[in-house]
Amino acid sequence: MGDAVGHLSLGRVLRILALPAALVAVWQAWGSTLATTSRVPLPSGVAAAAWEMITSGDLQLAIGVSLTRVLLGFGLGAGAGALLGLAMGYLRPVERNVDPVVQTFRMVAAIALVPLAIIWFGPHGQAAVFIVAYGSFFPVVVNAVTAVRSVDPTLIRAAKTMGLRTVEIVRQVVMPAGLPTLFVGLRLGMGNAWGAIIAAELTVGATAQITVSSGISSTATAASGGIGFLMFYLYDNRVDLSQIVVAMAAVGMAASTIDRILRFAQYDLIPWTRYAR
Amino acid sequence: MTSAAAGRVWRPVVTGLPGWLVYVRSMGLFIVVWEIAALQIGNPVILPAPHTVATSLLTLLTNGSIYHNALASLQRLVVAYAIAGMLGFPLGLLMGLSRVSFELIDPVVELLRPISSIAWIPIALALLGVGFALPVFILVYVSIFPLILNTIAGVRSTDRTLLRAARTMGVPRSRIVRHVVVPNALPAVLTGVRLSAGLGWMALIASELVGAPSGLGWAIQFYSGLFRSAEMVAMIVVVAVLGFATDLALRALQRWVTPWAT
Repeated sequence: MGDAVGHLSLGRVLRILALPAALVAVWQAWGSTLATTSRVPLPSGVAAAAWEMITSGDLQLAIGVSLTRVLLGFGLGAGAGALLGLAMGYLRPVERNVDPVVQTFRMVAAIALVPLAIIWFGPHGQAAVFIVAYGSFFPVVVNAVTAVRSVDPTLIRAAKTMGLRTVEIVRQVVMPAGLPTLFVGLRLGMGNAWGAIIAAELTVGATAQITVSSGISSTATAASGGIGFLMFYLYDNRVDLSQIVVAMAAVGMAASTIDRILRFAQYDLIPWTRYAR
Repeated sequence: MTSAAAGRVWRPVVTGLPGWLVYVRSMGLFIVVWEIAALQIGNPVILPAPHTVATSLLTLLTNGSIYHNALASLQRLVVAYAIAGMLGFPLGLLMGLSRVSFELIDPVVELLRPISSIAWIPIALALLGVGFALPVFILVYVSIFPLILNTIAGVRSTDRTLLRAARTMGVPRSRIVRHVVVPNALPAVLTGVRLSAGLGWMALIASELVGAPSGLGWAIQFYSGLFRSAEMVAMIVVVAVLGFATDLALRALQRWVTPWAT
């Protein structure tokens, strides 16, 4: 959306920066009128906290742990979703019989399953991976079905006439034609995945705090539980909230970086997507 | 969403069982498999059997627990939507109508949008505390972006010829906005509302899991803390059913408010 307009003139850069800069200034000015006991984080404190968290490596560690889980869960969920979606899109009986179950479970928010996942997998990484897999599965399934459906039937008939086997038709005709739509599902699924990991790790943090009653003593140990866990730890153990803001900014940056990578991957891997939108 | 584009159904329509019967058959089979699995595992904490979940569902329905918590969640949903609508719609309208305001406000929107609503929960916990304000704040945050972006898109999709015609006939700007731009943008706005409802429902549950004294998310967490999985799964079922019902209600609203778009 933002990159629709072409060159960056000085005036445009100023306009882009104007409101964010003004808001930060107002935030800082307003904050300095508050009592010193106030827990409201300030821009100056956030900058200092960012420096501290980056130099100690805690932020990178937490993001790395969460990213690993997202990739694992997304791989499982999206992989299964793409396979099932392909089968459902291509084989009518499969769709007819599986679709009710898929549609029913699509209504169950991944986040609602976090407590169940904790019971199944324990308050560790696996619960978060499961939630990510669950959250990324459904957009991929739905879009994979649509992807297969959007393939020009003439192409499939032509391939059939020329004696291609079903497997070959799927590989040579359906996949290339449906890939752009499938990719939309992958991007949606990845967006879900990144939101789900934070929710899962937060809830794991909230649960762990109840059961272990904070056996975690340092930011570094908390960071190894992922960014969501780290955020809950910071909320629970620190008076200064600046580090939470740093973690939030990191979450946002990671999300937009992931989406950008997927978008470039889309253009790179399936160049014809530009025409097929 | 892309179903219109995918309208070319190239397989012959399978005649046979009516849709609802296929649904019952598939879900029935699923429940049978679940029942057998629960029997095999033999631990109601890990996997409660469907019939115990059904019993719990009935108990929770009759003792009013579902009613109270669902009401708490839905109240938050309604309040948050009212706030998001009052903020997001005018903001989207402004950004869609004026290039300068778009260029000024859009950077802030794009800066905040990637930060998932759920990441706001810890700081909201610290600043707002556990209570009504936290889930409402999270919900407003999550639902406002689709609303703003869809309103902008709706405003921009207004037919230029209509605008020029209205201007030629000397209609004042405020009335052009009211009678031409807003009706034209409304379908896109409502699509934004439906999009954000799906996201909002998830965010609501997430915020209630950690930061509310009541509500469906809280109930799920509460029963899981007691290791009463049957009640927990029953609450999850309620969340799913209500999520589905919300979407149905919004679809009905869409058909009612913008009959020309559906």
